[in-house]
Amino acid sequence: MQPVKRIEIFANYVELGKILESLEKAGVRGHSVIKDVAGKGTRGTITNDLAMTMLDNVYIIAFFPPEKLSLVESNVRQTLSKFGGVCFISDAIEIETTRCVG
Amino acid sequence: MDVSLIVSNILNPPVLAFFLGILAVLVKTDLEIPAPIPKLLSLYLLFAIGFKGGVELVKSGINQSVILTLLAAMLMACVVPVYTFFILRIKLDTYNAAAIAATYGSISAVTFITASSFLTQLGMSFDGFMVAALALMESPAIVVGLILVNVFTVDENEREFNWSEVLQEAFLNSSVFLLVGSLFMGVLTGEHGWQTLKPFTQDMFYGVLTFFLLDMGLLAARRIKDLQKTGFFLISFAILVPIFNAGISLLIAKAIGMSQGDSLLFSVLCASASYIAVPAAMRLTVPEANPSLYVSTALAVTFPFNIIVGIPLYLYGINLFWR
Repeated sequence: MQPVKRIEIFANYVELGKILESLEKAGVRGHSVIKDVAGKGTRGTITNDLAMTMLDNVYIIAFFPPEKLSLVESNVRQTLSKFGGVCFISDAIEIETTRCVG
Repeated sequence: MDVSLIVSNILNPPVLAFFLGILAVLVKTDLEIPAPIPKLLSLYLLFAIGFKGGVELVKSGINQSVILTLLAAMLMACVVPVYTFFILRIKLDTYNAAAIAATYGSISAVTFITASSFLTQLGMSFDGFMVAALALMESPAIVVGLILVNVFTVDENEREFNWSEVLQEAFLNSSVFLLVGSLFMGVLTGEHGWQTLKPFTQDMFYGVLTFFLLDMGLLAARRIKDLQKTGFFLISFAILVPIFNAGISLLIAKAIGMSQGDSLLFSVLCASASYIAVPAAMRLTVPEANPSLYVSTALAVTFPFNIIVGIPLYLYGINLFWR
């Protein structure tokens, strides 16, 4: 087991590329994206009916080593300050498993 | 105005499907079309209309009337955002005014398709090269909108536009790319290609359009509550500006000698507002603008107005002008 940081971002689909680029630049090696996200946030309801306008919402989750925290935070803050969206960073534990082949 | 025109427009399966979508939201049914499907349907419609336009363009060839029509389309796409921007500046800040102006300078392909099905129903002919006008009118408004933001914003932090990114977003966004690409496919394959793809691009077309408009009805009805944010000024703008744009386009159409069918399509292009290409481009390039203003006015006011009242109204205008 080893400690890692978890970053979760809710944003518009149209900004997905820029957000992933900022994570990449900060050295976050992997990520998962869930598209077509709906719900209710502190800033109002998040609808999922604008897919054709590319303004539907996505959820991005990624894990990274704690030492990259300040770089990830500044990179993501820069992107989200321009385009909007919400971001949460929390602690997590990675369970190291044997990597299976095939 | 002849009420039978409005009635015959409403009694079209696609328009009735639009009403059905609105009704489904008003009576609170749980009808919902899964999110990726409307995107697929809109891509299909763009592909089908682009391909058909390419085939028709081969048939008609490039002549003086085609060139004049395409120039007029480009002119309107560049001029509409400029004067609408100054109207919008009466009540809105530069960012929102520019984003909405770009939305109204660009076009709605689905409104165009609905108008062409209305013409087909009435037995009025129109030229396939109007699809080329549609393709040409998608992007210039985005660029003009961004120029307006650049010229009329005084930023403390000296706003910087990455023009290559802006042009990429304006001319290579998915809807423009697919429309232009399928147009070229139609040009290159001609009648042979048309016959090969006919079951897909022709036979399925109105069924897909009808189903797409059902989703548009659901979407428009859900966006009605957003209109509380836009206020009376924007709601009036979203109805009066399309009528004004259509009026100007009819004068131009008459001046360059367009046929009645082409004139209706041209007026619909000038009167419609984009809710596919422009919102995505504006979100990336003018993030200070509020999407609920430019998406809701285009989707919940202008689009329903055009497909229910606008199309027959513009045809009525054509009948008066051309009499």
